[in-house]
Amino acid sequence: MNNKCNYKQGSLSECSPLAMAYVPLQESVKPSYKTGEALSRGTLFPGLDLPFMNMVNTGDLAGTPLGELMALDFVEQELALYLDTHSSDQEAFEMYKSVCALAQEARERYTTQYGPVSRCDVSQCKSYTWLKNPWPWDYKAGMEG
Amino acid sequence: MFVYEKKLQYPVKIANPNPALAKFIVSQYGGPDGELGASLRYLSQRYSMPYPELKGLLTDIGTEELGHLEMIGAIVHQLTRKMTPEEIKKSGFDAYFVDHTAGVYPQFASGTPWTAATMQVSGDVIADLSEDMAAEQKARKTYDNILRLSDDPDVNNVIRFLREREIVHYQRFGEGLRRTLEKLDEKNYYITNPAFDK
Repeated sequence: MNNKCNYKQGSLSECSPLAMAYVPLQESVKPSYKTGEALSRGTLFPGLDLPFMNMVNTGDLAGTPLGELMALDFVEQELALYLDTHSSDQEAFEMYKSVCALAQEARERYTTQYGPVSRCDVSQCKSYTWLKNPWPWDYKAGMEG
Repeated sequence: MFVYEKKLQYPVKIANPNPALAKFIVSQYGGPDGELGASLRYLSQRYSMPYPELKGLLTDIGTEELGHLEMIGAIVHQLTRKMTPEEIKKSGFDAYFVDHTAGVYPQFASGTPWTAATMQVSGDVIADLSEDMAAEQKARKTYDNILRLSDDPDVNNVIRFLREREIVHYQRFGEGLRRTLEKLDEKNYYITNPAFDK
């Protein structure tokens, strides 16, 4: 890691061949937002958080079982994209594994209480609750999550 | 293969229907820089990607874009619920309504149906990744413009989330290009196309 760069900067080599576009490489998964804040902000990484007119989403979406699951799945996705271009970053991989485990627990908590997220979750249910409303795109006032 | 998960990536709960907003937000469903084009672009380009990092990146971002398509569909669906004929006429939603009622159809804000002519699969690694970076910027621009026109906080929260995703994806595609360059001939990056010339 190049310590001359702050978290909003990444590394570029001093000289590079002409006629090519270069985006600086993000150097670390640190610093990172907490899970709920990452979902609100749309990124896990403060260094990539560049809001339009500096307006940001606030509030913790992770306060319900569905919100918690969404937030953990979001961090999982965000770390996976980072690992796709940084596959030898061991710190990121450790973080990824622990988020996957937490997301699995959150998934079980949610499905026990509210119903299936994937079809086979109905094996815990008394009937084929997959069809039960609400579907994710429907508006429901006071909807869980 | 793909398996459906019965949840959105980010919650969509629009308290107030507003067909006038739906009229232009639908462009991120099936417009020139929308989520349908994004997902099909990346999920189609991946077949000719020569390196595992790029196969993974295009699969993972392309799949996320399908989730964004669903979120935009949810916004349009919720903005157009319980419409009266008077509201439809007053909001200017009448032209869309005549063809699609309150269905969600992939089209530009201008009414042109979604077309694969808005995207490319070039089979050339540098050309495809350069297009993908441009595509993320064009989608970010559309979300900026939606934020300029919309004053509904329930809609804008979701739009701000989706806009930020474009910036993260831009960074990752840029890094994907950097990883590609590491494998190419530094004296002449264009000496061959590694996806075709073995």
